[in-house]
Amino acid sequence: MNYPDSFPVLLSLRVATAALAIVAPIGIALAWFQARKNYPGRTLIDAAVLLPLVLPPSVIGYFLVVLCGRRGPIGNWLLSMFDIRLIFSPAAAVIASAVVALPMLVKTAQPAIESVPIDLEAVGRSLGLGPAAVFLRITLPAAWRGVVAGLVLAFARAIGEFGATLMFAGNIPGRTNTMPLEIFAAYQAGDDERALMYVITLVVISCLVVMLATRLNPREATA
Amino acid sequence: MNALEARLAINVGGIGGFHVETDLVHERGVLVLFGPSGAGKSLTLQALAGLIKPERGFIRVGGETLYDSDRRIDVPTHRRRLGYVPQHHSLFPFCSVARNVSFGLPRRERRDDHPRVVQLLDELGLAHLAAARPASLSGGERQRVALARALAVQPRLVLLDEPFSSIDGEGRGALRAVVRATLDHHGIPAVFVTHDPEEAIALGDKLVRYRRGASTETGDPATMLPMAARLSLHAEMVRVVSGAAGNGNEVEIALENARLRGPAAVLPVDGAAQVRLHLRRAGDQRGGENT
Repeated sequence: MNYPDSFPVLLSLRVATAALAIVAPIGIALAWFQARKNYPGRTLIDAAVLLPLVLPPSVIGYFLVVLCGRRGPIGNWLLSMFDIRLIFSPAAAVIASAVVALPMLVKTAQPAIESVPIDLEAVGRSLGLGPAAVFLRITLPAAWRGVVAGLVLAFARAIGEFGATLMFAGNIPGRTNTMPLEIFAAYQAGDDERALMYVITLVVISCLVVMLATRLNPREATA
Repeated sequence: MNALEARLAINVGGIGGFHVETDLVHERGVLVLFGPSGAGKSLTLQALAGLIKPERGFIRVGGETLYDSDRRIDVPTHRRRLGYVPQHHSLFPFCSVARNVSFGLPRRERRDDHPRVVQLLDELGLAHLAAARPASLSGGERQRVALARALAVQPRLVLLDEPFSSIDGEGRGALRAVVRATLDHHGIPAVFVTHDPEEAIALGDKLVRYRRGASTETGDPATMLPMAARLSLHAEMVRVVSGAAGNGNEVEIALENARLRGPAAVLPVDGAAQVRLHLRRAGDQRGGENT
């Protein structure tokens, strides 16, 4: 058995990495905000963050097309302002992956940040640390296991994204054919051997990721 | 100039919530906020630290206004330069003891072997633990590290919120002595919250009593607290070693069969108390100081 085209493998890794780069700052900031700030409607946002996890990927894909397609408000604006066509591009695959990966990060990082004792941050402030320094030098180091576990799970979710990607980025060979799409295409074309190679690759990546996430299982940070 | 002046009205939980009224004036040494739990002591401390915003009032530390509701001044916690030692979760679990102590130093000075870090660790008997992780320390060691860390940034005032509450009786006495000596040596005034009368007497120069959300009376800890917590001296006087030469009312006398009585936690564990008596003009003996 020869390994088929390596383009989908590299594309998947690139798409998932780019999605993680988008999701990491947004997700960590959101997790911190939800863990530390009390405001009316906080539980509503908590629930909304979960939506991409429970909605069928085709529904997410549909919303992305409606918003970012050529006639959608965001898509139209990007096209007229910057001449950027998002739909059916690798960037669309990145966005689709980022949307479904976000809840994985937030829901894993948020409890880890919540479990950092407030007193620890209070001590940091009394020692002269401003809000950013308190977060970077105290909260994040104390919650790092949960945050890294969240990043790892988000990456795994991003690399496996199929439904929303298919609708929003399409399955264009040499452009947006990530591994999950390639598996589906190969299977439909009756090329089971090709499908199997990508299946094995994805299973190996997912196993590694799950092992890593389990080892990072957040433990309570107390002293 | 007073180390601390504050008059505060604090409200948490809105209407029907908990309300605290407090009035503090502190010149030097250790001011003890004393009272049962739920009386408002810790809230006062948190307001002083800037961790909660009072409803109205003012806070002045060493003459500088940190908070004034009328003048709309509210210096944020990280610019107040007040040390804070909480009851629990006081150490950063992810770094060593020395790194904890140097945590608040400016980036360029932030080293484990910074002279002030080394000196404080030494002073608090922690030198051998410099590389240890907080998780491996005893409760008393943790709170000593927390104090060292607060003092390392040379604060104007140290706030201690029941720092010894989770430490057993025997260790507490020794810990108090070390903490008191360290604060005295650095000349940094402190506000110490406790509900333990022994602790209040052993550490406090001045005491403010809290009752149901208000500071009610202020005075000398030894005279304000119940007899049970005070020391008594039983002895036969043998001779006067040195008289009241010049410095007023201090007389050194030699005693025989001396027995200092009081709660075990106030007295040193080894029992070798050294007593200095302050004689009043009328000649009545009052109190003993164990060193």
